[in-house]
Amino acid sequence: MNISHHLSDETLQDYTAGALDGSMEVVIACHLTYCNSCRARASTFDATAAAMLEETPCVTVNTTADALLDRAKNSDESTHPAPQVTGVPRPLARLLPATLEALEWKRLAPGIKQYNLTDKHRKFGAFKLLHLAPGVVLSQHTHQDKELTLVLRGSYQDEIGRFKAGDVADLGEDVIHQPVVDTQEPCIALIATQSPVRFSGVMGRLMQPFVGI
Amino acid sequence: MCNLAQKPLNVNDEPIQNHQTESLNQLLTDIGAKQSAEAFAAIYSHFGGRVKSFLIGKGINEDTAEELMQEVMISVWRRACTYDRKKAAASTWIFTIARNRRIDYLRGTPRIELELEDELMQLESDDDPHEQQVDLWQDTERVQSAMALLPKEQYKALHLSFFKGQSHGAIAARLDLPIGTVKSRIRLAMRSIRNALQQHEETT
Repeated sequence: MNISHHLSDETLQDYTAGALDGSMEVVIACHLTYCNSCRARASTFDATAAAMLEETPCVTVNTTADALLDRAKNSDESTHPAPQVTGVPRPLARLLPATLEALEWKRLAPGIKQYNLTDKHRKFGAFKLLHLAPGVVLSQHTHQDKELTLVLRGSYQDEIGRFKAGDVADLGEDVIHQPVVDTQEPCIALIATQSPVRFSGVMGRLMQPFVGI
Repeated sequence: MCNLAQKPLNVNDEPIQNHQTESLNQLLTDIGAKQSAEAFAAIYSHFGGRVKSFLIGKGINEDTAEELMQEVMISVWRRACTYDRKKAAASTWIFTIARNRRIDYLRGTPRIELELEDELMQLESDDDPHEQQVDLWQDTERVQSAMALLPKEQYKALHLSFFKGQSHGAIAARLDLPIGTVKSRIRLAMRSIRNALQQHEETT
């Protein structure tokens, strides 16, 4: 897969640190599935964290290796079977009841459908799939905080560039953009924001509760 | 050496040499391939106390850290067969298990992770030069020596991130600094680490 748009260093670092919302982590894990280069960069952060672990002074532990092995042999191993849903990276597949094609999409506006993803960790912002018909133009908007958008099918274009399947838009709060679906194929994207999206314009404000791309 | 409630164990009757990265990688590989209890005892004596030290703090007291550390080490034993020394140093592999266990505990739900068995995973071939580069990056000792040269304030920002699990924003609030300053400290620190590793790569 030819990836043109990547995660920022800041995002990868916060991901390694475990400092992001669970919803943002799902988007990141899905992009890492597609993107060798971000995976390689993430591994540098992991290795740096591991070097810190090596430097940490040991504290006293209260059990022996033998006792731990006994415990391991006497308890059940939790299994992690492959998810039922295919066609999307596993971190997302684990949250879906059906394939993208068979999901019960909810219509929001002409050409725009969404599927809301439940997420127990999420405190603020949106976590959803968006299904945009060819030619759909979203209202111009900005964000109060961080937003991650991963394209799963089709493509869109905005002021930053063209985003195809596997590409991630890692947007900070200062970006104003207006995405347009630019091929004959619907664009399906996975979106997580850390706080509600702010639309500019009256129509934009009406859209605000629904859309987060 | 960690302070353990048992005598130190040797592997194959030979002393473990200074816990070099390679010997730790070999020990972890032996746990996976041979279910070697001796290798597990050596890995535990090196990492148990460090993992516990990593877990203490962030609202986790010592008793809970002990329990979580034990769970992490049991996971190390069980999952060692999936460890691939070509992909990561033992310390990196164990760190990610400990980090995820801490996140799961603090949230009360399991972290959704990248899955290496994913059919959609884009894989590199063994002779991919990019992957060899990754191999080098993962050398814990080289990262450690690069980290030792960092200015204190850069090290502190990295430590709050990786060890305390704080976001760029949280670090800025804690140190009472503009977020831009935190971003640039972390960026400079990571650049030094990458540069040191690339220089090493060019001279070998």
